[in-house]
Amino acid sequence: MIENNLLSIIIFAPLAGALINWLIGGRLKNEMFSGVVACGSIAISTIVAFYLAFVAGGGALFIEKPILDHIWTWINVAGFRADFALGMDRLGGIYACFITFVGLLIHIFATGYMHGDKGFYRFFAYLNLFMFSMLTLVLADNYLLMFVGWEGVGLCSYLLIGYYVKKNEAREAAKKAFVMNRIGDWGVLMGIFLVFTLTGSISFFDKTVDGVEVQSVFTYVLANMQAEPFTWGAIIAGGLTSIGVLLFIGATGKSAQIPLLTWLPDAMAGPTPVSALIHAATMVTAGVYLVVRSNAIYQLSPTAMWIIAVIGAATAIFAATIAIAQNDIKKVLAYSTVSQLGFMFLAAGVGAFVVAIFHVMTHAFFKALLFLGSGSVIHGMHHEQDMRRMGNLKKYMPITFITMVMGWLAIAGIPIWAGFFSKDEILYKTFAADKYFQNGYFPGNEILWGVAVVTAILTAIYMTRMMVMTFWGEERFHEVLPGEEHHGHDAHADEHGHGHDAHADAHADDDDEHHHALPPDFKPHESPWVMTVPLIVLAFLSTVGGLVGIPYAMSSLVGVKDANVFEHTLEPVVAEVQTPAAEKARENAKAHSPEAVSTERWLALLSTVLAAVGIAIGFALFRNNPLRKMPKILEDKWRLDELYNGYIVDPLTRLSTNTLWKGFDLGFIDGIVNGIGSFVSELGGVVRNMQGGFVRGYAAFIIGGAILVLGYFVYYGYKLIG
Amino acid sequence: MDFVSENLLTLLILLPVFGAVGLIAHQMFWKQEEHLKWVTLAITVVIFLLSLLLLGEGGTKAGGFSFVKNVPWIEAINTNYHVGVDGLSLWLVILTTFIMPIAIISTWHAVEKRPLAFYAFLLLLQSAMIGVFVSLDLLVFYLFFEASLVPMFFLIGIWGGANRIYAAVKFFIFTAVGSLLMLVAIIALYFMHQQATGVGTFDFVTLLGSIESGTLAFSASTGLLLFIAFALAFSIKVPLFPFHTWLPDAHTEAPTAGSVILAAVLLKMGTYGLMRFNFPLFPDAARELAPIFIILAIIGIIYGALVAMVQPDVKRLVAYSSVAHMGFVILGMFSFTEWGMQGALYQMLNHGISTGALFLLVGFIYERRHTREISEFGGIANVMPLYATFFVITAMSSVGLPFLNGFVGEFMIMIGMWKSSILAVTATVNWNYIATMAAGTGVIFAAVYLLWMIQRVFFGKVTNEKNRGLTDLTPREIGLMIPLLFLMVFMGVYPRPFLDRSRDAVVAIQERVVKQAGGTVEVVETFEKE
Repeated sequence: MIENNLLSIIIFAPLAGALINWLIGGRLKNEMFSGVVACGSIAISTIVAFYLAFVAGGGALFIEKPILDHIWTWINVAGFRADFALGMDRLGGIYACFITFVGLLIHIFATGYMHGDKGFYRFFAYLNLFMFSMLTLVLADNYLLMFVGWEGVGLCSYLLIGYYVKKNEAREAAKKAFVMNRIGDWGVLMGIFLVFTLTGSISFFDKTVDGVEVQSVFTYVLANMQAEPFTWGAIIAGGLTSIGVLLFIGATGKSAQIPLLTWLPDAMAGPTPVSALIHAATMVTAGVYLVVRSNAIYQLSPTAMWIIAVIGAATAIFAATIAIAQNDIKKVLAYSTVSQLGFMFLAAGVGAFVVAIFHVMTHAFFKALLFLGSGSVIHGMHHEQDMRRMGNLKKYMPITFITMVMGWLAIAGIPIWAGFFSKDEILYKTFAADKYFQNGYFPGNEILWGVAVVTAILTAIYMTRMMVMTFWGEERFHEVLPGEEHHGHDAHADEHGHGHDAHADAHADDDDEHHHALPPDFKPHESPWVMTVPLIVLAFLSTVGGLVGIPYAMSSLVGVKDANVFEHTLEPVVAEVQTPAAEKARENAKAHSPEAVSTERWLALLSTVLAAVGIAIGFALFRNNPLRKMPKILEDKWRLDELYNGYIVDPLTRLSTNTLWKGFDLGFIDGIVNGIGSFVSELGGVVRNMQGGFVRGYAAFIIGGAILVLGYFVYYGYKLIG
Repeated sequence: MDFVSENLLTLLILLPVFGAVGLIAHQMFWKQEEHLKWVTLAITVVIFLLSLLLLGEGGTKAGGFSFVKNVPWIEAINTNYHVGVDGLSLWLVILTTFIMPIAIISTWHAVEKRPLAFYAFLLLLQSAMIGVFVSLDLLVFYLFFEASLVPMFFLIGIWGGANRIYAAVKFFIFTAVGSLLMLVAIIALYFMHQQATGVGTFDFVTLLGSIESGTLAFSASTGLLLFIAFALAFSIKVPLFPFHTWLPDAHTEAPTAGSVILAAVLLKMGTYGLMRFNFPLFPDAARELAPIFIILAIIGIIYGALVAMVQPDVKRLVAYSSVAHMGFVILGMFSFTEWGMQGALYQMLNHGISTGALFLLVGFIYERRHTREISEFGGIANVMPLYATFFVITAMSSVGLPFLNGFVGEFMIMIGMWKSSILAVTATVNWNYIATMAAGTGVIFAAVYLLWMIQRVFFGKVTNEKNRGLTDLTPREIGLMIPLLFLMVFMGVYPRPFLDRSRDAVVAIQERVVKQAGGTVEVVETFEKE
């Protein structure tokens, strides 16, 4: 067991940053101070995380055993043990590294983006608190502490989405995000109970604490549990498949998969750095982390795996169709994120856990880049987010433009850019799921592959549409949008309705992300260096970041046999399940048979062509007609929100109000009580008159009645005994 | 010091009474009304500090009581003044003494009408509440249990809101009716013991000894009847669905101090009673009736949450949330596992702190605006940022966010229910799992009703002109909240000092219940002491 107390610094530095900013920064109200504290604390985390991952004791990414750090024993009741203890293995190490690094860049970017905001210190306190929670999530050494981080990121997400407290959609979105996450959390909690019931442990790693041996969940599972049958019944049998499904319910909440996906696009009401950090790069991939972390359980639960793959593919295409019709630049990226998360789950579902994490990482680079780029655009456009009012920005914001082109090529899947390798691996592993799936048989893999391919084309199309609307074409800064005239007038009247006072308040709102009509002589401007430098770094990573994971089929093209560093690093994370099917799958993966290699190459060529076709379609459709009308149903997001409101929220509210509260409580129960009460008080009219007081009358009758009841029971009780 | 530690519990019970007498005397001679609150505060602080002495010994003796005092009281009916504290009651006593100074400071400027009576009633209430938690003689317990009703009745009826008379009477009727049956059962126990041994007794320890040794045995149906008689009194107090409708009225109409004490302490008398008396005295009946209580608890959890969701009044919303939270406590107790029962006890403390704090916070805004209608507010975070922060933290504790106290309790309760075998386990379905899953949905709903309320009250623009001039929390109000917030975090991060002390007492009760179950209830693995 390797212990290293430095591990706790990774999580506690951001916590300290949050506290300092909250307690001291709030008084100083100095942007320099708050910014330095926030970025400094993340910088410390980053340095320590990289040091532990690559250097200390050989580096967590290269050694067999995890680095552990027991801080204190949190709960220890009757054999249930939850430590506040951290562990960095290869999976946690990779997560910690990219979270701290991307987090640091986004923090730096945010000091520019949030410049001049009244709640600057508060924003960074929340952001640091988020980093604490997120790092706790990925470095926790047991399920319950992971759940602490899991809920913590949910809370921070809630606080940060609702950061612009005066914006109505922000507070709605914040609540929605928290509640939908909570629905998922229910699944995680129940999953943890079942894990503990079946394995007697919730620990991720074998360890010794205070002389007590603690066996990890996965060691137990590998040693004692059998693969479960591939049937629907397995879901409710209370075995590993049930755990798999319950944990995945949590993942659908956190990672915005069907059916709990509608919160993520709404969450864009928060500041853009938040969208980049929480709702693209880190938090939303926690669901993938959970599934991959629990892969020993999933490998024995084919039904759960299959469900994950299907939900992932379905979410991917569903969100991609919506992304194509959105006009808000952040909404496009949000649905794109949902869609990309679907890809990750598809990968995990077909058993390609390492590929799922690979895509998590490359996606963190290019999606953070795209979000920050959109933030830079929004900043340059004075908080205008509607792409219909943009156009030709490449003239005004060259750095933002170039960097975003890198992100665009990466997500579209153009070779050598980061997204190409990871997405292509997913497509191939899905296509060949029968070969690599740990349970042998995988029904419907070709259909899933087809869905994924279509999604990939759609991805290229909607990203091209976004780029075209934003950076090419004519300047449309003063475009009047359909239906806006009327709406704008209403808002105007409302703002002045409160007289002088309200006017002052409206000015106080200026630091919020409020849209004001742009002045006639408006010219967009490039963002300051604190914003463009992170963009450049991320653009670089989006371009070359995929090279750490070049699959065998690609690298062998140029004569390099073994270039997939990423896969080799993460291989030990995938448990070696001892079932014949899983052994066969591992053999297939290692064999690199000529047929397999050639299939993978042809598929890669196909998807490259399709990506190019998608981009071409995008240009053809939108280059000359950027405001092309998109299908209403897509613009309305398939009316999913209306569906939820109409069939779940409203009926539940009606039931609670009319049936439960007014019907049962006030009508039935209180009706009985009041009935008895008025009966007694009528009988007691004489007494009441004598006493001359309502309360005293009641009291007298209570006592009188009590004596009667009491007498009866004493009599009855005595008879009972004697 | 010897005198103090030998008579510590008696002092804790009597000091508030002396204090009340002192207040009256003070008023007679000096007629300085503004002194009253200071004197009362001083008394309650002294009592709190004294109660901390309990930590020296209380709860550490395995299965036994500490600070015991047992002297004859009415010899004709063999009633003794028998008090003692163990791990079960220790924290509840300290919770009571801790919450009293806070309740008093919370009404610092709010009591205009008859302050002498107000503070005297508060002190008498404290005496009764401590008495309830430390009495080991059933008759004495009953007297304290009933005595706690009277001051609260007047606190609601005199210093309450517009509909206070109705609320006070309803509160009184509900709880008094329930406890009358308990008195019958207590008397029945006396006579049964007399019949079995020749000596009638109200002494809990003696009765328990006789039942455990088999000297005093009763038929299954008698056991059930007695259990129900006790349980009804306690269930109304908790309150368990469907006996809960007095609670929203009482809470809404009560003055802030009353609501805080009601939520923090009075409700716990019900759950405490079930655990202290019902389980050890009638373990067979407890097991037999457990499914009913579990079902009612789950209904309460979901029902309370759903109804809380649609309340237009903040205080009423918090009151309904109490129904849901106390449902969790009942659920944990009736799982008859160490996790569940320890979790239930912990959740009693958590609920006292979180819900007490919520009522304080509601009181703060009520003092400013004299309304609690959610629709009257909106955008409060803009004018009262610190208040909003405290409210959100407290709500998160109530919602059960990890690292705040509520999570530890709810989690242990749920894992206790999950691992329980009190409900049927068939080949295809384990009903204990189903029960936990159903109760777990309450965790989702808790987020819905609290966050929806927070959203409507705190966020957005200030829409109501009356809210524009609101001032943020005063130092007094901040000072009130700090200890509560500290406890929310501390108890969420480091629960062991609490759980370690209550463990022996709780496990003794748990083993008592599961012992005779003929192997159907699995006795859990032993605790590894570190």
